[in-house]
Amino acid sequence: MAYGYLHFSRKLLLIVFTWGSLLVLAGCWDRVEINDLAIVLAAGIDKTEDDQIELTVQLAIPSQMGGGQQQGSGTGGPGKEPTITRQATGTTISEAASILQQKLPRRIFWGHNEVIVFGKELAEDGIREYVEFFAHHPEPRLRSYIFVSEEKASALLEVIPYLEQSSSQFARELARFQIGLRVTLKDLLERISGGARAVALPRLAYEFDNLKDKKGGLNINGTAIFKEGKIEGYLDDRLTRGLLWIRNEVHLATVSFTPENAEGYMSFKLLRSNTQLHPEIKDGKWKMTLSITTEDDIEENQTNLVLTDPKIIAELEEQLAAKIDERIEMTLEKIQKEMQADVLGFAKAFEQKYPDEWDQVKDRWEEKFAEVEIEVVSKAYIRRLGMSTQPQGIPEEEMKGE
Amino acid sequence: MVKRRRKQVSSKKESTPATRTERNNDALSDDLDKNADHIRSVYAEASDLIFRRFYIAGKQKAVLFYLDGLVDIQELDDSVLSPLMEEFTAEYSDVKELLEKKISVSGVKEFTNIQDCLKKISSGFPVILLEGRKSGIALNLTKFEKRAIDEPPAEAVIRGPREGFVETLGINRTMLRRKIKSPKLKMKEMEIGKYSVTPVILAYMDGIAEEGLIKEAENRLKRIDIDGVLDSGIIEELVEDNPYSPFPQILTTERPDVATSHLLEGRFVVLVDGSPFVLIAPVTIYSFLQASEDYYNRFIISTLIRWLRYIFLLISLLLPSIYVAVITFHAEMVPTSLMIGMAASREAIPFPALIEALLMEITFEALREAGLRLPKQVGSAVSIVGALVIGEAAVMAGIVSAPMVIVVALTGIASFTIPRYSGAAAIRMLRFPMILLAGTLGLLGIMLGLITIIIHLATIRSFGVPYLSPMAPMMGSETKDVLVRAPWWKLNTRPHLTGKYNKYRQAPGQKPGPKHGGD
Repeated sequence: MAYGYLHFSRKLLLIVFTWGSLLVLAGCWDRVEINDLAIVLAAGIDKTEDDQIELTVQLAIPSQMGGGQQQGSGTGGPGKEPTITRQATGTTISEAASILQQKLPRRIFWGHNEVIVFGKELAEDGIREYVEFFAHHPEPRLRSYIFVSEEKASALLEVIPYLEQSSSQFARELARFQIGLRVTLKDLLERISGGARAVALPRLAYEFDNLKDKKGGLNINGTAIFKEGKIEGYLDDRLTRGLLWIRNEVHLATVSFTPENAEGYMSFKLLRSNTQLHPEIKDGKWKMTLSITTEDDIEENQTNLVLTDPKIIAELEEQLAAKIDERIEMTLEKIQKEMQADVLGFAKAFEQKYPDEWDQVKDRWEEKFAEVEIEVVSKAYIRRLGMSTQPQGIPEEEMKGE
Repeated sequence: MVKRRRKQVSSKKESTPATRTERNNDALSDDLDKNADHIRSVYAEASDLIFRRFYIAGKQKAVLFYLDGLVDIQELDDSVLSPLMEEFTAEYSDVKELLEKKISVSGVKEFTNIQDCLKKISSGFPVILLEGRKSGIALNLTKFEKRAIDEPPAEAVIRGPREGFVETLGINRTMLRRKIKSPKLKMKEMEIGKYSVTPVILAYMDGIAEEGLIKEAENRLKRIDIDGVLDSGIIEELVEDNPYSPFPQILTTERPDVATSHLLEGRFVVLVDGSPFVLIAPVTIYSFLQASEDYYNRFIISTLIRWLRYIFLLISLLLPSIYVAVITFHAEMVPTSLMIGMAASREAIPFPALIEALLMEITFEALREAGLRLPKQVGSAVSIVGALVIGEAAVMAGIVSAPMVIVVALTGIASFTIPRYSGAAAIRMLRFPMILLAGTLGLLGIMLGLITIIIHLATIRSFGVPYLSPMAPMMGSETKDVLVRAPWWKLNTRPHLTGKYNKYRQAPGQKPGPKHGGD
């Protein structure tokens, strides 16, 4: 018994010693308290005149962003902005970041970076080299949203927005709505190295309400199409919608048109839509069939059509599908014929179905893509008629349908 | 050094039995005065020994001994002394006849040696010795003040019996017997403690409990050589399988219904005189997460409550360490707005999160301890001060952050969801090494700590039963009383490891309701 006891106390000593040294020697080296972090919410990358990188970061000021109980009212008035932007230049992003660090009392922390904006000039020269930093560094999230700025990226980050606390949050929410394109860092990395070698990124613009204290808002203004990492051209808002439809990314959409044989507009709100790509190679001819199924609600009816009539609804469904077709054809014209940039995911679809044929054309896919014959088969269903099924303020005799 | 100590101990061991038996094993002599003197010399200076000489029927010399306060004096006078002392002519050849004819007390025991005699006196029996006889008689006329049966405060229930064990062994024994009327309920009595001579009862169900287990329990109990047993806790520490573990391997309860249910599942129960807590073994870790009420409430609710306990067990063990790890090492893990909120609240805090967590957790433990020890009247004052100090003032003063107060409070509440105090205490203690690990190695440290705890739990056994069974080793059908609380009409078999010798506890197919495929 006595021996056992001594044995144990020695063992205990050993355990305490090894564990203690394990904790002290191996632990704590990367310990940083969260109040010693400079939390980057958004990063903007621009090119300077002497071909250097200008890195702009938007940093959160936690005590101004609410949540701080000591400071009382969290969201302060002028001069108490919840974020701050800081800039530094260097030959690489990493160098710029370390120069920036010299000017900051807290450690730069990329873990909560949700928005990356590339400046216009930089994007025109090519973004490939600069994306690498965000893929390489362990901290940045692969889920950050990527935008291309209409002007300088730094200007965008300096906007003090309405409704949201920071321009990064503003941009993030815009991306989430998917009214424009939504591209995360992960998507970008996948596409930039994929067979298509073309990328579409949303274009972010800003407008000031008040120039003096930089109050304003952001908006997504179309799409920038990249080929080989460089900007090839832009799509406006209308064509961007078409692009979303082709890429099966459309979530919020309202389509309005004047039905045949009627006066006034009708608006249809998208419930859900599904786009499928069916690649086909026949006798050396490459063909892609887009089959689009859309389900809609009727949201507004200015016409004299009575919606309870199945005949009218069937007509409307046909017209709606044609309307969507039309929009898609416009987009295809621009992307396929003019820009010859495959941002539609055709490359992947062909690669998956015809790997051998794909291998032969992958080096000249750009040309091949322009030759692909595209057929759009779209179908629309009207699911709900809305609260009122009869036109308002029209005498019954003038109504059409039963 | 090691050798010397070993020697000392072994020499001590050899000497003990010799001194202990001394001459008390001697038989009574037929000389009454010699016997009486001997007894009085043993009890010298024990002022509570009452000694009275009297003559039976005016002729036969006799002596009465008893300890004051332990004996029903009224009964002793009426049923023993008066009949014996009145004149009567008949001669009684031996003590036995005298007992049968004259003494109207039901519990009477004859003894022939001095040791027995002393034991009886010490246990509160009046003892009568006669001139010229080599034997004496002990009368079961003990009577002393005892606590009334009360609701056990540490194991209160909403639904279920409200009686609890008391300090008196006899009452506790009757409470068990009242629940199990079968003669299969066996109660082996033994005495533990050199000086306290505490009666201890080993109760088990004959035919349900494994014989080897009962033998092992008996051996472990008999091995105990100690001055006194003041509570069952002392015995618990002396018979455990794994004495260095923070986890209790023996369940204690104050509730007869809990003890009974474990008896019926093939476990044994140890009742100790002077302690309202009885010991139950072998048990698994899940026993500490089950309340008696689980079996009395509807099974769906009981199942949900069990899961609530499992979740809060983890919270109680891990929440502060996860919080510390996340805000010192893994700031990217929390949603951005929450992260900024936490950063804001930590803005003016002077300590690192690790120190802050330890500070608050220790304060909480101190408050809990103070609340337990303080008299009831002061208790509420302490809790008010505690709530104000740690909840409000410390945050206002910027010493601790508000999220930390939430974490500590939640952890505190979580630890109270564990029904058994000894189980909760183990988890509460392990929280501190976990916080240290989290503060130095982050999530890696938490995993390290968790793995260590799980390995330890998988190692320990309670009277041979693996502590994590039936989850490890996994026994599918046994999880009916662990992962869920199956309805009673499904609980047909006893737990495998303790009840396999008598597998079925009830008839199958007792699910109530109309018959299937009826007319």
